[in-house]
Amino acid sequence: MKKYLFLILLFLSAATVFGQGNSFLLYSFKGNVSILENKVESKAKVGKTLTSTASIKVPAGSAVTLICNEAAMFTIGKPGTYALTMFGDSCRVSSNSVSANYVKYVWAQMTKPSGSAGSNRKAYMNTVGAVSRNINNVWIDTRLDTVNYSGLVNEFPLSWKSYADAKDFEFLLYNSDNVSAPFFTTYVSKLKIPVKDFAKKIKPGTSYFWTAAIKGEVNEELKVFNYVTKEAFEIILDNIKKQGAAFEAPAEQAYRIGFMLEDAHYLAEAFEYYTKAATLDTANALYRTTLMSFKKDYEIK
Amino acid sequence: MKKPLHKHIGGHAKKVHSHFTKYLYERDTIFATIWVFLFIVVLGSIPLNLGVINPIKLSLKDFDSNDLSYSKLGKGTDTKLDSNIVLINIGYADREVLSMMIDKAASMKPKVMALDAYFSGPREPHQDSLLTETFERNKNLIAAAVLNLSGEDGDTVTLTGNYINTASQYAFVNIFNDSLSTIRSYEPFFDDYAKKRYKSFSAAIVEAYDPVAYKKLEKKGTSKVIINYTRSLKKYQLIQYEDLLADNVESSSIEGKIVLFGYINEDPNDISDKKFTPMNSRYYGKSIPDMNGIVVHANIISMALEDNYIKKLPSWANLLIAVLVCWLHMSFFVRYYLESHIWFHLVAKIAQVLSAIFFVWLGIYLFDKYRLKVDLKLSLLVIVLAVDVIYFYEAWAVWMHKKFNYKTVFKPHHH
Repeated sequence: MKKYLFLILLFLSAATVFGQGNSFLLYSFKGNVSILENKVESKAKVGKTLTSTASIKVPAGSAVTLICNEAAMFTIGKPGTYALTMFGDSCRVSSNSVSANYVKYVWAQMTKPSGSAGSNRKAYMNTVGAVSRNINNVWIDTRLDTVNYSGLVNEFPLSWKSYADAKDFEFLLYNSDNVSAPFFTTYVSKLKIPVKDFAKKIKPGTSYFWTAAIKGEVNEELKVFNYVTKEAFEIILDNIKKQGAAFEAPAEQAYRIGFMLEDAHYLAEAFEYYTKAATLDTANALYRTTLMSFKKDYEIK
Repeated sequence: MKKPLHKHIGGHAKKVHSHFTKYLYERDTIFATIWVFLFIVVLGSIPLNLGVINPIKLSLKDFDSNDLSYSKLGKGTDTKLDSNIVLINIGYADREVLSMMIDKAASMKPKVMALDAYFSGPREPHQDSLLTETFERNKNLIAAAVLNLSGEDGDTVTLTGNYINTASQYAFVNIFNDSLSTIRSYEPFFDDYAKKRYKSFSAAIVEAYDPVAYKKLEKKGTSKVIINYTRSLKKYQLIQYEDLLADNVESSSIEGKIVLFGYINEDPNDISDKKFTPMNSRYYGKSIPDMNGIVVHANIISMALEDNYIKKLPSWANLLIAVLVCWLHMSFFVRYYLESHIWFHLVAKIAQVLSAIFFVWLGIYLFDKYRLKVDLKLSLLVIVLAVDVIYFYEAWAVWMHKKFNYKTVFKPHHH
C-alpha cells in the first residue's frame, strides 16, 4: 500500500513540476494588442511578464514579440486570440556546442569551393556600381507576398510574370537574417519554380525571403516564405476544422478548409483541399471554378 | 598467427608516439627550437614597420580567432535576457523630449539611470532649462562626459560634453581604442597626472547599482579589462521612448533596475555610434560596425554584475606553450626531414594545417568553457617558422660540425 501511495505522490509531484507554465515577457508590440488574464482584458505594455495561463489578442495589422523564459524570442503577427500555453514549443532553446559548431564550420569552409570574381563571374554579377532606377521586369503577385508552407504538400509553385522577353530566370532564396547574399540560387526557364525544387534546402520552423529576376537583372522585391513545422500547421488545421457548422458535408468541409487555408496563406495546403472538394462533389460548379481559378492564379498545371 | 586487436592498436600508438619522440631529446631538436625563437626575436627587433608591405599582416591586424565563437559558432545565442538592465532608445529626441523621458522613467523608480549622450553647448534656452532641471532633480542619474587629454604624457584631463552641468555624477564614455578596430577591452578608470581618478560610464553605473560588484571592478584599476560580450541587442529589454511617453510600458519592468538611455538603431546602414565588436557576423577583413555604443556599455555592466570577467593567460605562460609546441613539432619535422625526406614537405604542410585547426579550437574551447583567453598566435607562428628554420639549422649545424666538431644528426649535403 505504502508503495502505491509513494508512486501516486511521485506522479503528482512530477505532474506539478511539468505543469508549471513558462513565463513570457512582452518584449515589444505594435497596434492595439491586448492581454487576457483571469478573464480581465487589459492593454498590452512593454516589459509585462505573463504566465502561460494568459491569452494575447492580436488584431489585424498588429504584431507582438514575446520572450519565453528570458531566452526564446518569437513574434506573432497573425490576427487572433492566442492562449500562451500553445507556445510551449517556442520556449525551447537549442543548446549550442561551440566545439561541435567549430568542427562543422571548419569542414564547411574546407569543402566549400573557393571562387573569385575572375573565375566565377556568375556568382559576382550582382555587385554593381550604380543605383537601380529601372522598371522591374519581373512582377510577383501580391498574393505571394507571404507564403506559409507546412511541407506536407510539395506540388505548389512560386510563380511570377515577366514584362520582358526572357528565356532564363534566376530564383533566389535568402535567410531572413541575411538578405545581402542568397543561400540558394537556381536558374529556371519557366515563370515558376516548384517548391519541391528547393524543399531540401529549407528547414521547418524557419522564415526565408525569395525573389525572382530575369537572368542578369536584379529584383530587389523580396517575398516571405515561412516554412512552418508540421506541429504548428496541425494546430492551425485543427482550429480551422473545429470552426465548421454542425452538419457539414465532407465536400463542404474541404472547400471551407481550403478557403480558410488560402486566407491564412497556406496556399499549397489550400490547393489540396480545393482539389478534394471538387473531387468529392463533382457536380458543384463553385468548387470546380474555384479550383480552376486557383490553379490559374498560382500557375498550377 | 593473428595479432590480437589491442596489440594492433598498441603497436600503432607506439609508432605514432615514436614519430614525435624519437628526436625529442636530441641536441639538434632543442637547438633548432631555440633558433626558431631567435629568428622571431631578430625579425621583431628590426626597427622598421614591415607590415606596410605585408598585406597578410595588415589584414590580420585586428584578427582574433576567438571572434569566430560569436560570429560563426553560436556563442551567446542561448544567453538569457539580462533582467537587471533596460535600454531606452532615445532616437533623435531633442533636449526637451530627453527631459520628458528621463522624468517619465524616473517615475517608475529605477535604481540607476544613465544617459549615454553628451551636450557640448547651448541649444534652445527653454529646452536647456528643462534638461538642467531634470538632471538636478534625478539624483540617481549618471550623465556622460568626454575626457579630453592633453599634455606631453596625455595625462592632463579636461572634462567636456557636460554643458548641462547639474547631474549628480558624470562619467567618461571614452573607449580608448581606434574607432575602426574591434572593441575588445576598455579601461574602467583613468588617473590623471595628479592621480585624480575618473570613472568610466559603466563603472559609475556598477558602483551605483551593486557596490559589491564595484569593489571587484575597482581592484582592476586603470588597466585594460577584456570585455566579455555575452549579449546582442535582443538580449536586453529595449524600450522605444515613444512607448515610454505613451504609457505603453509596464512600470515593474523598470522599477529597481538600471535604465540606460542611448541611441539604438537596428538598421545596418545607420552606423551612428556603432562600434565593431567580436559579435560582428564578419570576423575578418572589411565590415560594417555592428553594435551601438550603449549595448557595448550594457555588455560591460552585465559582465561586472555577473562577475563574468575574462581571465587572460600571462605572457610567460603563452611563451611556455609556444616553446613546448615548437619543440614537439620540431622533433616531428626533424624525424621526417632525416628519415623520410621525400614526404617531409607534404607531412609538414598537413601537420601545420592540422595544428592550426587544433590550436584555434583549443583557444576557442578555453575561451568558451573557462573564459580563459590564451594567446596562441605565437604558437601558430612557431609552427609555420619551424619548417624553414630546419633548412637554416641544417646548414648551420653542418658548418659547426666542420669547424668545431659539433655533434649533429644532420649530415653534409643531406639532400
